[in-house]
Amino acid sequence: MRPPGPLNRRGFVMGGLAGLGLTALPRPALAMPDRAGAVLGNWYRLLLELIRHTATYSPPVAARSFAYLGITAFEALATGNAALRSLAGQVAGLGPVPARAAGAHDEACVLQAALSHAMAVHFGNTGPTGQRAMQAMTRQMDALAAKDIAADVMDRSRTHGLSVSQHILDWSATDGGAVIENMGFPYDYTLTEGPAHWVPTSTIAVQQHPLLPGWGRNRSFAIPADGACGLPPPVAYSEDPASAFYAQAMEVYQTSKSLNNTQKLIARFWSDDPMLSPTPPGHWVAILLGIFERDATPVDRQAEALALLGMAISDAFVQCWRSKYEHDLLRPVTYIRRVIDPNWEPMLQTPPFPEYPSGHSVQSGAAAAVLEVLFGKGFGFDDATHAEDGLPVRSFSGFAEAAEEAALSRLYGGIHFPAANIQGLAQGRCVGAHVLRLNTRA
Amino acid sequence: MRRGLALLLLPAGLACAGASAGPADPALPRFVEETATSGLTTAYQGDWQYMVGGGAAVFDCDGDDRLDLYIAGGEAPAGLYRNTSSPGGALRFARLPGMAETAVTGAYPLDIDSDGLTDLAVLRVGENLLFRGLGDCRFEKANADWGFDGGDAWSTAFAATWEPGQDWPTLAIGNYINRREEAFPWGSCTDNWLHRPKGHGFAPPLPLAPSHCALSMLFTDWSGNGTRDLRVSNDREYYKGGQEQLWHMETVPRLWTEAEGWKRLRIWGMGIAARDLNADGFNEYFLTSMADNKLQVLTPPEGQLLPQYADQAFKRGATAHRPFTGDDLRPSTAWHAQFEDVNNDGLADLFVVKGNVHAMPDFAAKDPNNLLLQRTDGTFLEAADLSGALGFATSRGGAVADFNKDGLLDLLAVNRWEPPQLWRNVSTGLGGYLTVALTQAGANRDAIGAWIEVQTEAGLQRREITTGGGHASGVLSPWHFGIGAATAAKVRVIWPDGQASDWVQAAPGAAITLNR
Repeated sequence: MRPPGPLNRRGFVMGGLAGLGLTALPRPALAMPDRAGAVLGNWYRLLLELIRHTATYSPPVAARSFAYLGITAFEALATGNAALRSLAGQVAGLGPVPARAAGAHDEACVLQAALSHAMAVHFGNTGPTGQRAMQAMTRQMDALAAKDIAADVMDRSRTHGLSVSQHILDWSATDGGAVIENMGFPYDYTLTEGPAHWVPTSTIAVQQHPLLPGWGRNRSFAIPADGACGLPPPVAYSEDPASAFYAQAMEVYQTSKSLNNTQKLIARFWSDDPMLSPTPPGHWVAILLGIFERDATPVDRQAEALALLGMAISDAFVQCWRSKYEHDLLRPVTYIRRVIDPNWEPMLQTPPFPEYPSGHSVQSGAAAAVLEVLFGKGFGFDDATHAEDGLPVRSFSGFAEAAEEAALSRLYGGIHFPAANIQGLAQGRCVGAHVLRLNTRA
Repeated sequence: MRRGLALLLLPAGLACAGASAGPADPALPRFVEETATSGLTTAYQGDWQYMVGGGAAVFDCDGDDRLDLYIAGGEAPAGLYRNTSSPGGALRFARLPGMAETAVTGAYPLDIDSDGLTDLAVLRVGENLLFRGLGDCRFEKANADWGFDGGDAWSTAFAATWEPGQDWPTLAIGNYINRREEAFPWGSCTDNWLHRPKGHGFAPPLPLAPSHCALSMLFTDWSGNGTRDLRVSNDREYYKGGQEQLWHMETVPRLWTEAEGWKRLRIWGMGIAARDLNADGFNEYFLTSMADNKLQVLTPPEGQLLPQYADQAFKRGATAHRPFTGDDLRPSTAWHAQFEDVNNDGLADLFVVKGNVHAMPDFAAKDPNNLLLQRTDGTFLEAADLSGALGFATSRGGAVADFNKDGLLDLLAVNRWEPPQLWRNVSTGLGGYLTVALTQAGANRDAIGAWIEVQTEAGLQRREITTGGGHASGVLSPWHFGIGAATAAKVRVIWPDGQASDWVQAAPGAAITLNR
C-alpha cells in the first residue's frame, strides 16, 4: 500500500484525474473499529443477493438502491467524522442530515441501525426467503454491533442511525423511482411507429411493453436537470446495404458468427442478467467489495466509495434511459432478422427495451470514471462477481479496461450495435465527471 | 391505469364467452365447485419450509374403481381420503385414519413392488417415505424393507421410471435449498437423488449433481425413440450457475450439454406438464414459472433430433402470466400444470394452478387458476371463469381426474392454509370419451413409460404414461381420452419396451384395459 498522501479528495479531483488512489486520502480522524466494517460488508453481501432475488430489481432500480444505501452508510458515518463532508446541499434535494445527539456513539451501532432499517424498506417487497435472510442478518449484526458497547451508547447510536436512514428514505421517496409496478413493465404503452423504432423482442408476455419508459424523468443525484449528458442521435436508420446502419448491423451479425471462446466468455461474464445476477450495477459494486476485502479498506472510505459509485451508476441509468426513449431505436435482432437473416439468434437474450445507448456501457463508463479517481488509473483488481455461478475470475489492470470490456461484451452478445457501446461509454464518463464534482471530504 | 385495464379485460372475457359457439372455439365445459361438501379438509400449512410443495396423489387405493386422495398437509398432518362419490354424483370423500405424517410436501402413486397394489412415494421436509399398499387404503412404511434411504432434505420433486431390464423402479427425487441456511440460502441447492434398483429394493441414492433446486421432474421419452431421459425443472431463485436440465439416463447419468444441442433456459421452474399435442410423436412441455410460463415445442435443426425447443406460449395464448380476471393484474405465480381433455373434444386442455409464494407484493395475491381449452388450431382459450372453475385461493398442487366416474374430468387444487378446492365437471352435451388402463405381468404393472394411441375419424391422439411432473402431485388412473363426436375409436399401446399392441376397437364410453 502506498503511504497516505497530503491531498484531500477535492484536491485531487480538482487536480484533474491525478491518478491518486483512495489510500492516498488522509486517515480518518476516528479509528473505525472492525465491527463497523463487518456490518457494512455483510449488509452489502446481502444487498447483492436481494438485488438478484427481488423481482422489481431491474438494473435501473438496482442502481437507485445502491445509490441511496451507499449515501445512507456514508451520511451515517459522516455525522460523526469531521473528515467527511455531508452530501446535503450538494446532491439534488437532500436537506441537512440529522446531527448526532450529545454523547458517545458507536459507529458499528450507527451503521447497523441505519442499514438494517433502510434495507428493510428497500426490500420490503422481496420474497419470504429474502425477508427471512434480512431478519437473520439483523439479528447477527445487532449482536455484533452491540458487543461490549454500553447500553446508553448503543441506544444513542441506534437512534441516530434510524434518523439518518429515515431522512434518506424520505428524500428518496420523491425522486420518481420509488414505486415499481408490474416488474417495471407498463400496463399500457404505445409503440413508436416506423421501422427504426423498438418493437418487442421477447415471447414473454409482460415484456411486450418496454421496461421503465419513464425512468429518464427521475431526479438525478449529480446531473443538472437540463440533461447535461445527452447523446447525438444514433446512426440514421436504413435498410440499404450501402448504408452505415446496415454496416453496423452486419458487424453485429458477422461478429456473432465468428465468436471465439474468449469472446463468448466475455459476453457471458458481463451479461449480468436481472434475477440471475446482481445486475450490471451490482457487478460494479461486487468489484468494489472485492477490493475492500483485499485491501482491508477502512470503513469510512468504503462508505464514501459506495456512495459515489452508487450515485454514478444510478445517474447513469437515468441519463441512459432518457436517451433510450428519446431515440427509441430497434434492437439488432429485429433489424438483422428483418434485413439480413431471418433465423439469426444472438448469443444473449435481448433486453426488453430500446437499444441506444447501451445501459451497461453507460453505467460502466460512469463507474470507471469515478473509481479511477478514487483508486487511481492502472489500479489492478480481480473480478470474482460470478465465481459462484461457475464463471472464472477475470483480472483487469484498471477500471477503464473493465468498462471497455463490458461495453464490447454487448457486441459479442449481439444485443447492441457498436455505436451504442461507444456512445454509452462516453455518456457514462460524462455522468462520472458530474459525480466527481461532489465533495465527500471536508 | 390498472383499473382501466381491468375494465378492458372484462369485455374480452365476455367476448370469448359469446364467441364460444363459433366453429373456432372449443365447447365450454361447466364446473360446479363442491369444496364445502367434498369432505376434504387438509390444508397445506406451515411457513417458510412449506412455501413450495403442497401436492396430492390421486389413485384408487381400495380397488373400487374410484379415485381416492392423499393430500400433503405441510407441518400439519397429511390426509388420506376414500372416495365415496356416486357415479355421476356429487364429489364426496371420507377421511381415513392413519397416513397422517407431518412435514409432507407432496406424493406420487405407483406400484413399486409390482404386486398389483398401488404404493405411495411421499416427499417430505425430512425423511422421505415409501408406503407399501396393502389394499383397502391401508399402507405400511417400507423404507427399511426396500432399502430406501429417505435422507433428510427438503424434497420437492419426484419421478419414476423402470429402466430397461429392471424389475424395480428407478426413483428420482428433487431437493430444494439447504433449509438450515438463514442469511444466505441462495446457492445452497442440495443434491437431487437417484434411487436405483438393488435386488428387491433400492441401492443407496446416487447424487444427481449438479442439482439446482428442482421443483418438478419427469422421466420422458422426449425424442420418441423409446429412451426416457430425466427432465428437471429448477427454481432459478436459488441456484447459482444452474439452468433447466435434461439427464441422459445412462449407467452414470450425465447432463445433456450445449455441445449436444441443449439450450440454456433459466426460469423459476415449478411444474412440468407433458403431452404430444399434435400427435407428431414428440411431447410438448408446459413449464410453470412466475409470469413466464413456457409452452415448449420441439424445434431441432433440420435433420437432427436435438432437445431444442421454441416457446410458443405467447403465440398460442397459453402464457397464463397474470390474472385474466379480477382487479389484481400483478404477475402470476404458477405451480401445478396438467394436460387433460376436460371438454371431451379430443384436444388436450391445460389446467394451471396458481398462488402467491407468500405475501410477495409484486405478484398477484388473487391469482386465479387457469383452465385453457385447446382450439383446433392449437391455440388456447381461457375458460376458468366461463366454465365455473374460477378459484382465487393460494394454490400449489392439483389434479385433473374423473372422481365420480361419469366420463367428465374434475379439478382439484391444493391450497396453502385452506382446504383443497374441488370442482365437479357437470357438463352436458360434450363429446364422447373412453378410458384406457394398462396392465402388464411382472414388473411395472402399470406400464409407466408406455404410449397410448387413440385413433378416431378426427385424428390421432398420443399420450405418454408417466409418473412425475406437475407440482408435487401425481395421478395414477385409467387414462382419459375425449373423442368428440366420434362414434368409434381404435386404441393401442406401445409398451415401455417399444412393443406395440394390436389396435382395439372402442365405442364411446368404453373402459378399455390393455394387458399383456
